Amino acid sequence: MSFSAWNLAEIDEMELEEMGATASIHLIQEGVQSHAWRITTGRVREADAFLGRFKDQHRSARSDLKLDPEVLRPEGEDEEIVEGESEVKGFMAGPMVRLFAFAKPWHRLMVLGFLLTLASTATSLIAPWLTMALVDNVLIPLQSATEEVHVNQVYKFMAQLAGAGVLTWVLNWARTFVVARLAERVTSRMRRETFEHLQRLSLTYFNRKRTGDLISRIGSDTDHISLFLSVNFIEFICDVLQCVFLAVILFWINPLLAVAAMGPAPLVGWLVSKVRGHLRGGFAAASRAWSAMNSVLSDTIPGVRVVKAFAQEQREIERFRATDKHIFDTNDRVNRMWSFFTPMIELLTDVGLLVVWAAGAWSVAHHHITVGVLTGFVLYIQKLYGRVESMSKFVAAAQRASASAHRVFEILDVKPDMPVNQGMRKVGRLRGEIDFKGVKFRHGSRQVIKGIDLKIAPGEMIGLVGPSGAGKTTLVNLACRFFDVSEGSIWVDGLDLRELDVEDYRKNLGLVLQEPYLFYGTIAENIAYGKPKATKGEIIAAARAARAHDFIMRTVDGYDSMVGERGHQLSGGERQRISIARALLIDPAILILDEATSSVDTETEREIQAALDYLVKGRTTIAIAHRLGTLRRANRLIVMEDGRIVETGTHDQLLNQSGTYARLHEAMMEVTSQ
Amino acid sequence: MNPAVDILIDSDGRLVFIDETGTRHENVRPARMFPLTDPEGWISLQSPSGEEVGFIENAKTLTRVQQVALSDAFAKRDFVPVVRSIDRISRASDGHLWHVTTDRGPTIFRIETDESIQQLGANRLVIIDDHNTRYLIPDIDKLDVESRRRLERYY
Ligand SMILES: Nc1ncnc2c1ncn2[C@@H]1O[C@H](COP(=O)(O)OP(=O)(O)OP(=O)(O)O)[C@@H](O)[C@H]1O
Ligand SMILES: [Mg+2]
Repeated sequence: MSFSAWNLAEIDEMELEEMGATASIHLIQEGVQSHAWRITTGRVREADAFLGRFKDQHRSARSDLKLDPEVLRPEGEDEEIVEGESEVKGFMAGPMVRLFAFAKPWHRLMVLGFLLTLASTATSLIAPWLTMALVDNVLIPLQSATEEVHVNQVYKFMAQLAGAGVLTWVLNWARTFVVARLAERVTSRMRRETFEHLQRLSLTYFNRKRTGDLISRIGSDTDHISLFLSVNFIEFICDVLQCVFLAVILFWINPLLAVAAMGPAPLVGWLVSKVRGHLRGGFAAASRAWSAMNSVLSDTIPGVRVVKAFAQEQREIERFRATDKHIFDTNDRVNRMWSFFTPMIELLTDVGLLVVWAAGAWSVAHHHITVGVLTGFVLYIQKLYGRVESMSKFVAAAQRASASAHRVFEILDVKPDMPVNQGMRKVGRLRGEIDFKGVKFRHGSRQVIKGIDLKIAPGEMIGLVGPSGAGKTTLVNLACRFFDVSEGSIWVDGLDLRELDVEDYRKNLGLVLQEPYLFYGTIAENIAYGKPKATKGEIIAAARAARAHDFIMRTVDGYDSMVGERGHQLSGGERQRISIARALLIDPAILILDEATSSVDTETEREIQAALDYLVKGRTTIAIAHRLGTLRRANRLIVMEDGRIVETGTHDQLLNQSGTYARLHEAMMEVTSQ
Repeated sequence: MNPAVDILIDSDGRLVFIDETGTRHENVRPARMFPLTDPEGWISLQSPSGEEVGFIENAKTLTRVQQVALSDAFAKRDFVPVVRSIDRISRASDGHLWHVTTDRGPTIFRIETDESIQQLGANRLVIIDDHNTRYLIPDIDKLDVESRRRLERYY
């Protein structure tokens, strides 16, 4: 890809959007998206790098419009990410700092954890110190048998060593507990806030995102963070503290030896910086691969009936195998990296130890130090190297956590694109007047609603008909304010819908969707979903009105029967009737029925219709139906076609017009008479 | 309750329901609308063909005699044993064997999946065994510690 062909100054922005198994790059020009390229997740890293280069050049192009086109040409086709320190900081420090901001409410716990860490680290360093004295004052004299050693001295050392051990143990215990508790709280808050934030986002967001991807961000990514905070991070703090303590002690004991021991340090530092970038990319890729797998799962498990009906099990197995292989490959890449890295550090420290022994032997021979001091020194240096090794593991853990934190913050950073909290006007019960004024709506670049003017009086029942894809569902979605209009406006009781508090407004809405969705739970819970405090009497009354009571009483547990996930233990028509009952229970001012009776038999439909005739009284109703008979009671029928209203009138008026409605009616009559 | 309405048992031991209009419904079958969350209230009375002929909102508003008639009719229908303690849970080839003590004595049943244990309300559980018999744990917190610990591993 080369930028030189484009006039960079005309481009507003280029963004990368990930959608589970695939991702796309959007090019935004003059406020609208003019191009989009789809890419697979395997290439996201390259795409990232590409965008990085684009942004750099874009910035300079905008600041200097008369730039020589030669400058805009990217430096060859090499797509490797630049391992710049500034980039590492942006990626690493950002999420980490924010992560700690999440811990703020528990700052006391944090301080306690830190103090305990400090104390337990300090006590763990007592033992070698005692050892030094033990060797010089007890063991060596014992061996050379030149001096008398009192046996009490041995006991004293033993007791001190045991005491230090016990103290370290208690402190470690307290620290681990405190820190784990803190980590649990932080990640729990993170999960909750992410979920809360998700609930505030509009349907437009969910239309683009894959369920599996969101699940894995809230599920496994926060788990990575939890593990990091409770185990790796605190270990790292301990390690750093110990290293500092140890370095001080070592220089205190013998500066010469200490300098010798520090030999491998620069090498280790270099190695760490080298490996870090690779790990970071690797872990981000691993998380993405994990998301892709979750996406496949959340697609195929609920769709298992379709899979079986079309005998596509083998194909789904292949699909899963492919995503699983992707996980395997990305993990493999990471593992290759750090499985090499950790032993490498060990090797370096072994070399360091060799140097210490050599220098130590020389010093003992020249009577610069005693054997005891050397023993103590070696014990300390081994501890130090141990810490360095464990710090090297932190590199991997930190990169993984920061990749995960980045993914979680990505959700948190999505601004609700339909500013839910913008409308502040509180409303109580509405009369139910709805007025569409020149409403237009786009799904992406596609104009779905092309200009609707329609005024619905309070208490009126409107029948919405039209061919499939005409935009009927979209229009009621706009009336529910699931999306905001692209042009024009919708007025409710003389108020602009966008000014109303969405929650207040929706309390006035009873909605029965084209695809009824039931939650895992009992029938009673599902009916009372919009009004959890409903009495049993109200629930039963709503169920009776929706003609659901009889079939409910035929189930084993009546209203206490579980409906299964998405209500799959009920028939389609039964699900619809439950969702009608759910809409009726809240006694809405505006009732919206989107093909609410499409999956019930004509007999039941007639019954529901009879009940609705009674129930639509006193509320504004918008009913969408393909079976035109359903809408006999409507005050007005609105015929939509291709995003516009083409006809309005009563059944008889419309038949006489011999337009779209008459055509639809005729086609329906033909089907039924066959 | 409307005084004209009555529930009684006829000479054949069958339940009879007389509704507000004085119509006599023979051989009605009581059915609980909320058998698990509210077994005392909301009882539907159904004709032999399964049609609802009336309902009782609260059995406690009935007279003593009517209550007895109703509970007799219920006694003839299926029951939900109440689990008092869980004595042992062992693995079986498919699923788990539960050794429990119910209000009707000790018993063993088999459940197949985790979904066979369902939560109703905060502390109430229903366990459905492989024969579709339902066992009720009205309040988890009222179980003894050992039972609770055994339950915890599966729920
Ligand atoms: N999320 C979306 N993104 C893009 N296009 C969409 C989206 N939802 C709907 N559309 C398109 O908008 C058009 C109108 O859809 P809508 O659901 O409103 O039709 P409808 O009149 O309700 O049809 P039906 O009678 O089949 O339910 C359709 O052509 C559809 O493809
Ligand atoms: Mg539709």
